[in-house]
Amino acid sequence: MTYGVRLHVWGENGCFTRPEMKVERVSYDVMTPAAARGILEAIHWKPAIRWAVDRITVLKPVRFETIRRNEVGAKASVRNAAAAMKAGSTAGLRLGVEDERQQRAATVLRDVAYLIDAHFDLTPRAGAEDAPGKHLDMFNRRAAKGQCFQQPCMGAREFPAHFEPVPDPPPAPADELAGERDLGWMHHDFDFGREIEPRFFRAVMRDGVIEVPPLDSAELRT
Amino acid sequence: MTVLQALDRLYGRLADAEKVPPFGYASEKISFCIILAPDGRPVAVRDLRDQTGKRPRPAAVEVPQQASRRTSGVQANFLWDKTSYALGLTADKPGKKRDPASEHRAFVELHETLLRGAEDAGLLALLGFLRTWRPERFEAPPFSGRGNPEDILDANVVFELDGAPGEFVHDRPAARDIWARYRAEAAGAEGMCLVTGEVGPIAELHPAIKGVPGGQMAGTALVSFNLDAFNSFGKKQGANAPVSEQAAFRYTTALNHLLASDWRHGNRIMVGGDTTVVFWAEAPDAARAAAAESLFATLLDPPTDEQEAAPVRETLKSLARGRPLSEISPGVDDATRFFILGLAPNAARLSVRFWLESDLGVLARNAARHHEDLVLEPSPFRAPPSARRLLVETAAQGKRENIPPLLEGALMRAILTGGRYPQTLFSAVIMRLRADRDVNGRRAAILKACLNRNTNREASMSLDRNEANPGYRLGRLFAVMESIQQAALGKTINATIRDRFYGAASATPASVFPVLLRTAGHHLSSIRKGEKGGLARWFEREMGEIVDGLPNAFPRNLRIEDQGRFAIGYYHQRFEKRADAPAEAKDSPNPETVEA
Repeated sequence: MTYGVRLHVWGENGCFTRPEMKVERVSYDVMTPAAARGILEAIHWKPAIRWAVDRITVLKPVRFETIRRNEVGAKASVRNAAAAMKAGSTAGLRLGVEDERQQRAATVLRDVAYLIDAHFDLTPRAGAEDAPGKHLDMFNRRAAKGQCFQQPCMGAREFPAHFEPVPDPPPAPADELAGERDLGWMHHDFDFGREIEPRFFRAVMRDGVIEVPPLDSAELRT
Repeated sequence: MTVLQALDRLYGRLADAEKVPPFGYASEKISFCIILAPDGRPVAVRDLRDQTGKRPRPAAVEVPQQASRRTSGVQANFLWDKTSYALGLTADKPGKKRDPASEHRAFVELHETLLRGAEDAGLLALLGFLRTWRPERFEAPPFSGRGNPEDILDANVVFELDGAPGEFVHDRPAARDIWARYRAEAAGAEGMCLVTGEVGPIAELHPAIKGVPGGQMAGTALVSFNLDAFNSFGKKQGANAPVSEQAAFRYTTALNHLLASDWRHGNRIMVGGDTTVVFWAEAPDAARAAAAESLFATLLDPPTDEQEAAPVRETLKSLARGRPLSEISPGVDDATRFFILGLAPNAARLSVRFWLESDLGVLARNAARHHEDLVLEPSPFRAPPSARRLLVETAAQGKRENIPPLLEGALMRAILTGGRYPQTLFSAVIMRLRADRDVNGRRAAILKACLNRNTNREASMSLDRNEANPGYRLGRLFAVMESIQQAALGKTINATIRDRFYGAASATPASVFPVLLRTAGHHLSSIRKGEKGGLARWFEREMGEIVDGLPNAFPRNLRIEDQGRFAIGYYHQRFEKRADAPAEAKDSPNPETVEA
């Protein structure tokens, strides 16, 4: 059994980073399914359910802007952390932001708004008390009240996402989005079962609507 | 379409026209060809360089591609290289970190491995050469017999078999076979390519992109994962974003081809200090693509020469009237697909400043609207200004490297999409005005364009006597007072009221205008005492007319938009062609020639 939900999300900025340009970041033209899943999970998630995004409707024209940010070029070492735990001392265990700082450019989206169509499936961890209707109600109630476990974001934590249940009538895509646009190979989501492999799908936007293939679809490539 | 996809497609078209090297080959700067006898003896050295310019320039020769970017490591190229590798000789003084002997050894080893069992006469000659070569041989002919044997040191060389003129060793079919086989064997793990969607060997490092000013000499990378923090899920280098070797080769080759073109007549434009723009058209044939590209280049970067600029003005006018492109420029079509990529270097990496895909007609009309927005009377421009010329107005000391970063991309995006001008452009100009008080027409034009496009109220093209905006009026008043001061004290004043008070007058009028008015009164009376009573009366009338339209009290401060109007009002008043003014006031300076 699957249960569908629909959510209206919007924000001042968005950055759905392309993997090939994730160093000097360049965003995809539109929200990725994984980012949409992240927003849904921020509002309601339990081990008993798994979200699957069916469709993303783009409401605002695709506009980019470039910003510069100070970022960090190094990772904290796992080995040092393990050694520190063993020794019971945090001596030498640090990542100095001042030493590793880098200024990098990011080409991000400006003024974004989407409709997310999604459903959830019950996972093997669902117990007898996990009636699908219960989770559906919980999601809708939480979305209507603006409740969330953590602030949902537009691809990057510094770009918060606002959300509400889809108003009636639903907002329509901007006229500029009419027609068909090939968005190239886009990140679909990670396959967490197989050593966290990324999956990609050929994204096509028709009059602002992107149909997202299901998780087990043959269209997906890894 | 994504950047890489579009470049990949461009490669396809360029390859059909045989303008780019095939997979596995790259165009490199080669200076000399060493001609070998069948037994490997060097018999002659041919200079391949172009001698027509001031300095000899190396020729572009298609050679087997470098395996990856050569940095500090020793890595030999196949069948060509610089002399430290090919001959074990360098012009560097001994004791430098590079050791030509070990580099030459790597070159010999690579060829001994790859050419094992070769039967081709050219390859055998090269093997013979490598086995018998000693750096001391450089003292003997054919090297010593040449004009200047030192020339060859550290240049790239290729080889040729004596008796097979025009066919380099690396171009011989046997060499191409060996190279193709070697590349196939060296290919990495297979995976799905993010550009083409096909499964193939994934490129670990992408080929270097050369020719972006400001980047590292050895080349820069658009796709790279050069630090730990960029890796995800333990993946290394290219595996983070799988792109097949084919696609990596294709997009970098296409981009290098665009970047190698001449900046004035090619597919590239420098916007300001650091942004390089490359663009290309997708048209049914090469001639039409070239016509579209050259039209686009002249619209964005018009010639500065007044005569050459005249046709550009005409084109812009026709575009603004909505005429189709085919009428304006033969062979160009409104529906031509056009791609524009703005790149800026960050040390070894390239960042994308903007990426646009649009119809040429839309772009051309947006560019025309941009020029329309800039129009100011009297015109401060001899020719339609390029973005570069506008941006220099935002830079301290007028230096290109002082242009605020990110402004270049934002301005280009506004010009090409017809969207709002960046607010930072407006504030940067205001800031420069207050800092150096050079209120020139170019700056006034930028402010006017920003106000026109970004606010609902239009700023007028020429002096508008009915405009009631206090900022505009005060700007005019300030200009009149400066003229009065000049008329009273002559033109050789050390510091005019503009030098002393421009910043305060435009930002906090109430704090300075009362003082300025009093001084202006003194100046007027001294003009009257001279012989120029008519001039004084004219100034008084002008001042009276301006002050009449002002509110009762001077505003305490002006918002930034009104500071912009202040500058525009100042410019309009200062450079107004005063029909009714007495002769002495008519000598308004020529706006094009006024500099700080």
